[in-house]
Amino acid sequence: MNEKEMSEKTGLMGWIDKRYPWTPFWEKHLSKYYAPRNFNFWYFFGSFSLLVFVMQILTGIWLVMEYVPTAEGSFASIQHIMREVRFGWLLRFMHTTGASAFFVVIYLHMYRGLIYGSYQKPRELVWLIGMVIYFCLLMEAFTGYVLPWGQMSYWGASVITSFASAIPYIGDLLLTWLRGGFSVTGVSLHRFFSLHVIAIPLLLAVLIFVHLVALHHVGSNNPDGIDIKKHKNKEGIPLDGIPFHPYYTVKDLVGVVVFLFIFCAIVFFSPQMGGFFLEPDNYVLANPMVTPPEISPAWYMTPFYAMLRAVPNKLMGVITMAAGIAIMFVLPWLDRSRVRSIRYKGTYSKIAITVFVISFIGLGYLGHEGVSTMRTLMARIFTVGYFGFFLLMPFYSSKEKTKSLPERVTG
Amino acid sequence: MKRYILINLLALSLSTPLWAEGQQIEGLELEVAPIHQDDMASIKRGATFFASTCNSCHTLTYLRYDKIAKDAGIVTNKQPISINGVTPPDLSLEASAKGVDWIYTYLQSFYKDKTTASGVNNLIFPGTAMPAVLAPYQGEQVLVEKPVYDLLHHVEWYDLIKPMKQGNMKPDEFDQTVTDLVNFLAYAAEPFHQEQQRIGYWVLGFLIVLFVLMFLLKKEYWKDVDKMRE
Repeated sequence: MNEKEMSEKTGLMGWIDKRYPWTPFWEKHLSKYYAPRNFNFWYFFGSFSLLVFVMQILTGIWLVMEYVPTAEGSFASIQHIMREVRFGWLLRFMHTTGASAFFVVIYLHMYRGLIYGSYQKPRELVWLIGMVIYFCLLMEAFTGYVLPWGQMSYWGASVITSFASAIPYIGDLLLTWLRGGFSVTGVSLHRFFSLHVIAIPLLLAVLIFVHLVALHHVGSNNPDGIDIKKHKNKEGIPLDGIPFHPYYTVKDLVGVVVFLFIFCAIVFFSPQMGGFFLEPDNYVLANPMVTPPEISPAWYMTPFYAMLRAVPNKLMGVITMAAGIAIMFVLPWLDRSRVRSIRYKGTYSKIAITVFVISFIGLGYLGHEGVSTMRTLMARIFTVGYFGFFLLMPFYSSKEKTKSLPERVTG
Repeated sequence: MKRYILINLLALSLSTPLWAEGQQIEGLELEVAPIHQDDMASIKRGATFFASTCNSCHTLTYLRYDKIAKDAGIVTNKQPISINGVTPPDLSLEASAKGVDWIYTYLQSFYKDKTTASGVNNLIFPGTAMPAVLAPYQGEQVLVEKPVYDLLHHVEWYDLIKPMKQGNMKPDEFDQTVTDLVNFLAYAAEPFHQEQQRIGYWVLGFLIVLFVLMFLLKKEYWKDVDKMRE
């Protein structure tokens, strides 16, 4: 919209648009943002992620009103929220379920990017910013997990911060600095609280905005992985594009209701999810003198925890785990395929992605279980499978025979 | 049969994290506590029993504003005492930490054991410091010599011990008392449970209606897109 058109608008919106670019913003990001018309099931999870983020912020605001971030008061303050605060249990269960739901939708959102090549040129930055969001989310989840100050909070924090001590020379110093003492204490709890409610959410809000700006600058990919901007009508609108609003907003609303149904079924009827969303050990107050029989991180971190345990050397284990996350960042430069979508890639890519999915889920399962010889062997095989998917990608993606791309989107 | 094994494996894999601690006898299954969390009469009976029997040692700190606990005469703000150097745990959250099936089986499975200080031991918590407080009601139990295991090497607590002498409650009465007590402890851990369920049904019902509306709205809008496809 140019200056002249804008001045033609009258009424309240005209008044606002002369002072703030509201209408241009609305059009750029919603009513004139042309998204491919063939989005499928996998394209719901971006919207869901945004929804869960907003829910976490809102429930978090109310939880902080009653929560006490000290080693002495934390555990009891949560029981106060659960019992004496009106609908406190609802706020807390929404928040705890939201934490796991966030990772469910983010993993599916990332998987969508993976199978349809949404990280390929020109969307490398969309992927990179998304990966930074994912990393922040892991930090956010970890710091939040410490706050109830149960046994799992305490021992999980002890184990995870201890990874820092594996770093040569500065490890021990770094560990003391992270914890704010020689062991995990109320000081650690208080700083994790600060990070959890201010630093990381603020960073996440900015990153999500930047993620969307980057996406809307290059346009959305689609299940066919072809460019819809190649075929435009006289007005310059892609023939296969439809305005995000209202078409995808109403479509996403249907998805949102289904998502909320599952979400609420868990919140109201099984918030513990058999110990996966809320662990039984975390109903026991943190006790530095008693170690729980099994310390395993929350389910969304178990794949990386399994990688750590698969390597016998502590430093190498930590490096492997860090590499497991780091390698996802460089994905856009590993894929040398001529096509984006798995639909048109060759057999090697299809085998590779199958190996990757099995390895990731397998590692997730093993990270939750105790250690045995057989399980360690399996974890090693899956770790090789996980890294193989990424490291061999430059070879198999460029060598394989791909199918020919359609001119226009299908379906 | 195959299906049965699968269900058993599934049940086992789900129940493991709840009671891994202190479990010594291999294959010992937890008995499912026959509680109904909406049975207020049972919860109140359990609260009364707790006040008269458990409250002399155990606290319920987080129930200090709870009406049911108050009405039953439970003292929530007392100092914890210590038996043989062990402080009996606060039971406010025991049902969430251990699971109701664990508590039910624990309370049922005390047996005579001369090697311990209290003269009794427990099947799922060997070496427990808790004396057989319920023995006057349940009667005395001893280990059986040859327990019977099923094909999957599973065994129930009542296959491992047998009653020697009946207490001042009949077996049915005792089971009901333990059920009430466990039901009360489940309430103690989640006093919001009934409200949670009640609201839950309304919320899910509302979402079903909303789904129909949203689905129709989407269909209406997407008529244009369907035309575009043709």
